[in-house]
Amino acid sequence: MSAKLSSSGTVFDIGYRSYTGAREGRGRARRAVFKDGVRAALGFGRGGRAKILPWFFITALSALGLIFAIVAGAAERLGGPGAAEQMNLPSHSDFYGIASIIMFVFAAVVAPELLCPDRRNGVINLYLVRPLTGSDYIASRWAAFFVVMLGAAWLPQMILFLGLSGGDPIPMEYLEKHWLDVPRFLAAGTAMAAYTTTIAMLTSSFTTRRAYASVFLVGLFVIMAPFTIGLALEIGGTAGQWISMFTLTSIPVHVNDVIFGEVSEITDMAPARELGPTMLVSWFFAWTFVAGAVLWWRYRRLAP
Amino acid sequence: MTTGKPLLAVEHLTKRYGDVVALNDVTFTITDGITGILGENGAGKSTAIKILLGLLQPTSGSATVLGENASESIAVRGRVGYMPEHDALPTHVSASEFLTHMAEVSGLPPSMARIRAADTLRHVGLFEERYRAIGGYSTGMKQRVKLGQALVHDPAFVFLDEPTAGLDPAGREEMLTLIRKTHREFGISVLFSSHLMADIERTCDRIIVLQGGQLVQSGEVGQFTKETETVFIEVDSNREGLMAALEKRGIAAIVDGSGMTIEGPDESVYDHVRDALIESQAPLRRMAPRRRALTELFERDSDKAQQKGAA
Repeated sequence: MSAKLSSSGTVFDIGYRSYTGAREGRGRARRAVFKDGVRAALGFGRGGRAKILPWFFITALSALGLIFAIVAGAAERLGGPGAAEQMNLPSHSDFYGIASIIMFVFAAVVAPELLCPDRRNGVINLYLVRPLTGSDYIASRWAAFFVVMLGAAWLPQMILFLGLSGGDPIPMEYLEKHWLDVPRFLAAGTAMAAYTTTIAMLTSSFTTRRAYASVFLVGLFVIMAPFTIGLALEIGGTAGQWISMFTLTSIPVHVNDVIFGEVSEITDMAPARELGPTMLVSWFFAWTFVAGAVLWWRYRRLAP
Repeated sequence: MTTGKPLLAVEHLTKRYGDVVALNDVTFTITDGITGILGENGAGKSTAIKILLGLLQPTSGSATVLGENASESIAVRGRVGYMPEHDALPTHVSASEFLTHMAEVSGLPPSMARIRAADTLRHVGLFEERYRAIGGYSTGMKQRVKLGQALVHDPAFVFLDEPTAGLDPAGREEMLTLIRKTHREFGISVLFSSHLMADIERTCDRIIVLQGGQLVQSGEVGQFTKETETVFIEVDSNREGLMAALEKRGIAAIVDGSGMTIEGPDESVYDHVRDALIESQAPLRRMAPRRRALTELFERDSDKAQQKGAA
């Protein structure tokens, strides 16, 4: 059997083809904005430079979880079963307290990427003339960054849990004893992600420049904390407790403490913890919901 | 100006911003084809387009797009496209990535969005450059991306706001060709807003002229230019004698540079001109019909609107 191959080809112009397939409307539009938000936050579909910062922070958080696990595992191996607990090495309940600063800086650097360029470049005008409202847009963007933050919060805790259970001389015994840590860190991580996402997105909604939003957020999260804690300790009493409540980085960590039923190292000296779990959790919800409502209000009335 | 089923219909549309009246009792319909919306800055073009896109609520009156109330139906926006005048493009993503995303935001499933994005970029002449970041594109290429995102979901109707803004003559010509192609080959009707009358005249089938928020004129482009047809006559000498001979035959001639113009599309005018030339013995150098450009029409309408406003 022989086949004669032609040495020449013909290119046919098939012309314009109308689209006759499905049009999935507003639901598809919301999902598309969500998907694009996740991709923008992680630098997918962008140049190499866009991937450096988000993946640096995710790697740093994961590495922190891994270091905790290695240290605890080594303590168990060298000191015998229960040595890590006796040495009071940091574990799941302490993780968000220690890692919160990395998570806040991560949010400060990455969250503006989801909102500022769309308004700065005018792409928001193209969204709002499609089957999508301002509320749909901001809800989808918020959800996208929330999912990224949730991944960044849960991943190191999962690494830590796997490390601790794998490092224990009797892993099944560890799992039986500590299984409740899993729903606890999932819940605490959700609170952490919801809070940082909302505050970072709200700040980003006030400027079209990413750098301004990032610098402001870093100032809000990092620089403000020593002032409020120092002032609270200086004044003392109920006034000091309330001033301490304005340490924005501590708000979700207090919720973490309530969930785990123990005080983490970072909130140990915060006078706010004396106000009790109900007040601390209500304060967290107040900040998250009010910031979320302002964010929604700003985009609800947006028109090109 | 309605010759078929209206795609867009505006009835007694008024939009006020406080004391400022952006649109004042405007009524028009737009059918299949390329329609130009012409007017100076502040004439109400952008306000009309925003109301038709459902982004602004009218103070009174109604605007329907593809049979649906523009301010109430979000779904209808999936069947229209919009190319804004100003920059509206991300800088760090490729044209392919951006158009795929915009197709999805318009409601197309991801697999179809990718196919449509590639097809559309081919049609707007950016297929070879589709994987380059948009930030590195020239102004002309960016205008094509803006047109592409307006067409990527195969809309029934597309709004183009000043599509030739910032383009050099070659880029402008290419854009006008693309706009004509959008209707004639792709079957997508176009509302083309511009203050460049030459672009509207060369591209559109129909025009709507807005002035100070009011509808001044609307109709077929050919009809406008035909109505304003003139005959230009140039003679070597005795121009006054020829004008007098024409006046005797009831034809008013207006001095125009070195010659004169006579208004009126009636062909019998040529017989009168022949007779007047014989009578006056004026040596004819040139005689040619000339269509008045839309520019002149617009100037005339502006004067009318100003006089109306002053009154």
